[in-house]
Amino acid sequence: MALLELAGITVRFGGVVAISRFDLRVDAGALVAMIGPNGAGKTTGFNVITGVCAPTEGSVSFDGERIDGLSAHEVCRRGIARTFQNIRLFRSLTALENVLAAGVGARRDGQADVLRGAGWQRREDADAAAARELLRRLGLERFADARADALPYGEQRRLEIARALATRPRLLLLDEPAAGMNPSEKEALRALIVQLHRDFELSIVLIDHDIPFVMNLCERVSVLDHGEKIAEGPPEQVRRDPRVIEAYLGTDAEPAAARE
Amino acid sequence: MKRAARGAVVLAAAVVVLGLVDAVLPRLLNTYYLTILARIAVAVLAAVSLQLVNGFTGQFSIGHAGFMAVGAYTGAALSVYTGAPLLAALQQFMPAALARALYFPFPLLAGGIAASFAGLLVGIPALRLRGDYLAIATLGFGEIIRIAILNIDAVGGARGFSLSVQSGVELRYESLGAIAGVVALSVAVIARLVYSAGGLAFRAVREDETAAEAMGIATTRVKSEAFAVASFFAGVAGALFAHAEGYVHTNSFTFVRSFEIMAFVVLGGLGSLTGAALAAAVLTAAPELLRGFGEWRMVLYSLLIITTMLVRPQGLLGSRELSLALLRRALARRAPGP
Amino acid sequence: MEQFLQQLLNGIAWGSIYALIALGYTMVYGVLKLINFAHGDVYMVGAMSGYYAAHSLGIAAAEPSLAGLFAVLLVSMTACAALGAVIERVAYRPLRTAPRLASLITAIGVSLLLENGGQLLFGADPKFFPPLVNPRELVRIGALAVSNIQLIVFATAMLLMVGLELVVMRTRFGRAMRAVSVDAPAAALMGVPVDRVISGTFVLGSALAAAAGILVGLSNPKIDPLMGLLPGLKAFVAAVLGGIGSIPGAMVGGLLLGVVETFVSAYLSSTYRDAIAFVILIAILLYRPTGLFGTGQVEKV
Repeated sequence: MALLELAGITVRFGGVVAISRFDLRVDAGALVAMIGPNGAGKTTGFNVITGVCAPTEGSVSFDGERIDGLSAHEVCRRGIARTFQNIRLFRSLTALENVLAAGVGARRDGQADVLRGAGWQRREDADAAAARELLRRLGLERFADARADALPYGEQRRLEIARALATRPRLLLLDEPAAGMNPSEKEALRALIVQLHRDFELSIVLIDHDIPFVMNLCERVSVLDHGEKIAEGPPEQVRRDPRVIEAYLGTDAEPAAARE
Repeated sequence: MKRAARGAVVLAAAVVVLGLVDAVLPRLLNTYYLTILARIAVAVLAAVSLQLVNGFTGQFSIGHAGFMAVGAYTGAALSVYTGAPLLAALQQFMPAALARALYFPFPLLAGGIAASFAGLLVGIPALRLRGDYLAIATLGFGEIIRIAILNIDAVGGARGFSLSVQSGVELRYESLGAIAGVVALSVAVIARLVYSAGGLAFRAVREDETAAEAMGIATTRVKSEAFAVASFFAGVAGALFAHAEGYVHTNSFTFVRSFEIMAFVVLGGLGSLTGAALAAAVLTAAPELLRGFGEWRMVLYSLLIITTMLVRPQGLLGSRELSLALLRRALARRAPGP
Repeated sequence: MEQFLQQLLNGIAWGSIYALIALGYTMVYGVLKLINFAHGDVYMVGAMSGYYAAHSLGIAAAEPSLAGLFAVLLVSMTACAALGAVIERVAYRPLRTAPRLASLITAIGVSLLLENGGQLLFGADPKFFPPLVNPRELVRIGALAVSNIQLIVFATAMLLMVGLELVVMRTRFGRAMRAVSVDAPAAALMGVPVDRVISGTFVLGSALAAAAGILVGLSNPKIDPLMGLLPGLKAFVAAVLGGIGSIPGAMVGGLLLGVVETFVSAYLSSTYRDAIAFVILIAILLYRPTGLFGTGQVEKV
């Protein structure tokens, strides 16, 4: 049974078509990738799934229920979390606070319980302990009390993942998690993703430019170009697809750090 | 259990201290200084409550005086129209001082509640706006509230609204201990709100609204909450002001007053409750302390604002809180190490 | 009908003063994204310096003439241009890289300084602006009258606005100003002297505010150090109404606000006159936050 299903998604901004009739199916427990050249519509796909932008046409279902039209925080509370391609941490909060804020946001609505007594404090301590544990599992415990924007670049990317995990998602969307990393960092990230996928019983969709990175990691790959899906399937099959090769001609010449 | 016991002790100690303050201060200082101390307390509460919106939630509101006005007039109207007969009746059964102490929280609560409703009423449409546009809208709402009150005859209109009534009941409440107690309690509630894990939602919204929303934080709701809570305490501050002064006029709540409160917040340091309180206290006292300079005092006051901002653009305390640990560290840095 | 037209004329004259002040707000917001709350007080300084210029140059005592008015305008605009440049240099430039709210607070500080300094320097009591022009009726149709003062106010304002439009659209400085308002760092990289452009923007805006101060002195001669407070705020509303950052927007917004205010006080109640500006403000913010001429920006995720 599909955990996430996008059917006939079209997004238009004014006259520009960002994505056209895009279908995507992610089974529970899957680890899949969306790849494609700059401007192919990958991030727009994420934005549609997470409620950041509403699709012009088409539907998004999660766990059998329609979620298009929900606001982003509602989508998150249903169990979809994401990272951002241009890191969007809560910059002046500490790493621990970043994780705590996400956990609290996903579970509670109001702040009214602040007025309560002892139970409040116990909950407060439990939240902090859980957040520290999460940081430890991502190897960030020594940064717990450092400001997020003071972390090294790679650690910031990992903190974004930790923050997303704090919302206890069933589906994790990673938007170019490897961008700007050197080969050894990428290898560490690959191992981390595999481990998280297993330990947290997650389904993961990730976006990247780096074809070899994706090929070594994912079971299935969707390829977008100019807002349309041009290929889908296991990495080996997609890699040989003539349309994919054509779409990527010239793209390889671009600098590795190029962003959408 | 231990925690509850400690809480009771702290509470009892606070009551004793405030009682002492109440008994001793009027003997030491003349009415002029007492009035200034009361004004400082009101300014501190106004600044700390605005800090929740501006410094912690990152929303830019400059209409705070409007909500103070709602609180001040609601509290004053309650006292004049129902409080006075009520107090007159109560004083038949108990000493006047006790009756007044029992009655005093009600106008404050009423002022706070009315102001928080006004805050929600303003906040829900206005919070769709971002940044400067929100600021401009709150400024406009503040002025509309003020002009609307100016046109309500039941609360005196342009004549102002006096709390002195004929029935032999004193509605003015200038007890410094009570005022300080209310302000301290309010500040404590705000502090607990922003420094709890739940309160991280406010700061998350300030840091990055899109990311906060993606992490499951209902940003619009959080913003409305910040707005309502801040307005509530602005209303309490307003009602406090009305009862301490015994007279209110809309001229006390113009946009100039709103600017002043915002200056407290930014000069103290965005995101620092103690900073806002400190700046509010210093800047409220400054014009009085500068009285020796005669007609130059307001010029010096403006220069004080400008130079402080130029010298410390991040505010007096930045986003840190003044605490004993911070003081100790600062002193340790000064003192040569062993 | 005649009364309606008369109010319309009064409103346009009053609105052109708002428009002149609004231009300064909008230009500064354009280049710095700063709400320059001291701008209304620059307008006050404009009126005050006009008052003193007229007296010290002997124009107030002489027979009213357009040449005299022109001289007063010139002196006062020059004085305020210099004041604007100084304010920018001393109070805003050091905070260019600081958090944006910091310069907003210095703006409020400068505003307080000009008001309190004005009370110290000029005295808190109102002064009466010398009649630089003999009031005369130019046209009369039934009850409808157009005075020469209304015409002078309107014509001067229009002339200045057209002049500004030419500066902004046709000169190198204007092009630089537009570049800075779109993207200051990029403009700097392209060799635009950003500091000079910002300084020039304050000079232009303050000179226009001074002109507004003189024109208001002609039609409402009572001037005092706090006169800039409310008109300043309302001119700012006018700038938002037109779309903050947009020069034609400020003109239209100013005129519109002047007309609406005049009608409200003529037909509804003068006590609500001050509220109407803010009601319009809220309405426009909720339905079209970028104003009549503004353009929105979409945040990229």
